[in-house]
Amino acid sequence: MRQRSRLVGVAAVLLLLAFVLSACAGATPVAENWPGLTVSGGSVYVISGTPQQVYIVDAETGTQQRTFVPDGEHQGALYWSPVAVGGDLAFVGFADSAIGSAGLYAFDPATAQQRWNTPAEDLILPAPAYAEGVVYFGDSSGHVYAVDAETGTMLPGWPFQAGEAIWAAPLPVGNRLYVASMDHNIYSLDAESGQEIWHTELGGAVAASPVMDDAAGILYVGAFDGHLYAIQADSGELLEGFDFRADNWIWSEVLLADGRVYVTALDGRLYALDPSTGQVISPYPFDAGASQGSSEMIRAMPVQAADNIVIATESGRVIAVQNAQQAWLWPSGIPENSIYTTPVVVDDTIYVALRDGTVVTLNAETGVQGWTFPSPGSE
Amino acid sequence: MGIIDIWTVAILRPMLNALLWLYTLLGGQFWLAIVIFTVVVRVAMTPLMLPQQRSAKKMQEIQPKLQELQKKYAKDREKLAQEQMKLYREAGVSPLGGCLPMLIQFPIWIGLYQSIIQALGHQPLQLLALAGNIYGFLDGIWSQVPLNRYFLGMDLSLTPQQMGGLTFALPILVAFTAWLQSRMTTLPGGGDGQAASMNQSMTLMMPLMFGFFSLNFSTGLSFYFVVSNVIGIVTQGFISGWSGLKFWEGLSFSNLLGGGAQANAQKSSDKQVKTAPAGSEKGSTSGGKKRKKKRRRKR
Repeated sequence: MRQRSRLVGVAAVLLLLAFVLSACAGATPVAENWPGLTVSGGSVYVISGTPQQVYIVDAETGTQQRTFVPDGEHQGALYWSPVAVGGDLAFVGFADSAIGSAGLYAFDPATAQQRWNTPAEDLILPAPAYAEGVVYFGDSSGHVYAVDAETGTMLPGWPFQAGEAIWAAPLPVGNRLYVASMDHNIYSLDAESGQEIWHTELGGAVAASPVMDDAAGILYVGAFDGHLYAIQADSGELLEGFDFRADNWIWSEVLLADGRVYVTALDGRLYALDPSTGQVISPYPFDAGASQGSSEMIRAMPVQAADNIVIATESGRVIAVQNAQQAWLWPSGIPENSIYTTPVVVDDTIYVALRDGTVVTLNAETGVQGWTFPSPGSE
Repeated sequence: MGIIDIWTVAILRPMLNALLWLYTLLGGQFWLAIVIFTVVVRVAMTPLMLPQQRSAKKMQEIQPKLQELQKKYAKDREKLAQEQMKLYREAGVSPLGGCLPMLIQFPIWIGLYQSIIQALGHQPLQLLALAGNIYGFLDGIWSQVPLNRYFLGMDLSLTPQQMGGLTFALPILVAFTAWLQSRMTTLPGGGDGQAASMNQSMTLMMPLMFGFFSLNFSTGLSFYFVVSNVIGIVTQGFISGWSGLKFWEGLSFSNLLGGGAQANAQKSSDKQVKTAPAGSEKGSTSGGKKRKKKRRRKR
């Protein structure tokens, strides 16, 4: 009898241990993305808080104006895309893992009232793109959708199906839509019908939107193989003689400024390239890691602010660079949180979203911090 | 450098990059990379595992002598323990020999779990973490990210609970193969009756625990467990025989608790009893009849 009771005791302890350890294994999916940040019409839209919502914040003062969360109760892990603003509506991709459905939601920014939603096959991670009354967005199943911005109705001929997830915002240019996919391809689609015009296979997965040099008709896009590609927008052919490879994946969009192509990579460097050849222009690259004495990764796109090129690093630093030299650095002390979201520059203010959804503003010329909007629930 | 950094540099990155390297060699089949990795780990662990498996065989061989001691010193536990330890020493058996291989495998399991999750990452932050941990000379893997994480329709990065359906068979397979291996290597009689009872309990409870773990761990890790267990079963079979595999023979609750090794031991014991000459047992009478003790009535 004593041995049997010991057996029961051992079994109970082991099963309890198994339960606790398996709970620690984290079987429930959690949002594995960084907060979206958009500044438009005097308002900052940031995915923030616990639980997450779209916070609409006054761009001048940093005070909260409204919040938006799709109708219904939400209990699972939440997945959001950044907000896009077009016409008189704002658009955001949203999914609740508990419900198991994903969709694009439109809401009135002035009132935060939901207007419509349209379902998607899978998570919508990149920002939607608005052009001429149509909203384009992609999801993790590889579908690309085009819906009427007023009603959310799918346009005929859509969705388009790529081979893998869409992690980059589609790029509408005139009557074309350029889409980058994790299947290594860049697609050129007819913006109205969704028909493929061409596709070009690159050397790695593409998680960044292509950027168009309108004058030259060239698309620049980086891939996970570390290469930056220059593609002729009309034909999809690679620009002959253009060759650049970083020492790690390229995950961000490029910045076209001052007749150069600025690109950051996960090797922690900011490069300035010749747009025709891809040659690195001296004295670049700027090594964010070396300047801080630590290894760095840069996921966010470089942005232009005042006379500087501004980058944001994984360690949580914002660095203004001029001629491959550091002009200013924020914060001066130990960073609070990682930065993966591309900063937004409006006039002389840089808006930065930290990993936890906190928004800080910096003076574009000096880097002095302005207002801070802390992530609600994280204080 | 903090503990996490040390873990990342010393355990996680080598295992992760080994898996990635195998992945590139094996035509982009991650399940195959796990199989080969498991074989390599087991081969590397052989110097630790082999003595334990041989010890299990020796333990089976000395079972009859252990049973004799238990009968002889049934009422003197201290003496029994002393004589048992003396017998273990003479036979070269370590009752605790099974602990060291398991302890060493713990960091391997944890490291492998983390490596699989990171290698098969398909969410942005997971891929960012992967990018930071790939060795520079393995830049050929960059073009293959995100990796092919499917095998027989199973997503190797997800748990059976997340996938449902037939993937629930995997935890059952983990528990079953772990139990079979445990049956073949259980070291019965490590001390007095209570310790033996505890040992036997573990033979059933540990496989059940691993099966339960597997419900909530990625199927890739469960795959590792199954392959590792099968290798262990085959190795033990060559060392000490295959009787433990015949789990259907005389299936009972006590048989569940480590009957395999005991079955081998029982076979050895039966052979010795059959070949023992008549009258060799102390106190026996001719014809094998026992004399009854007469009780004298008190007056």
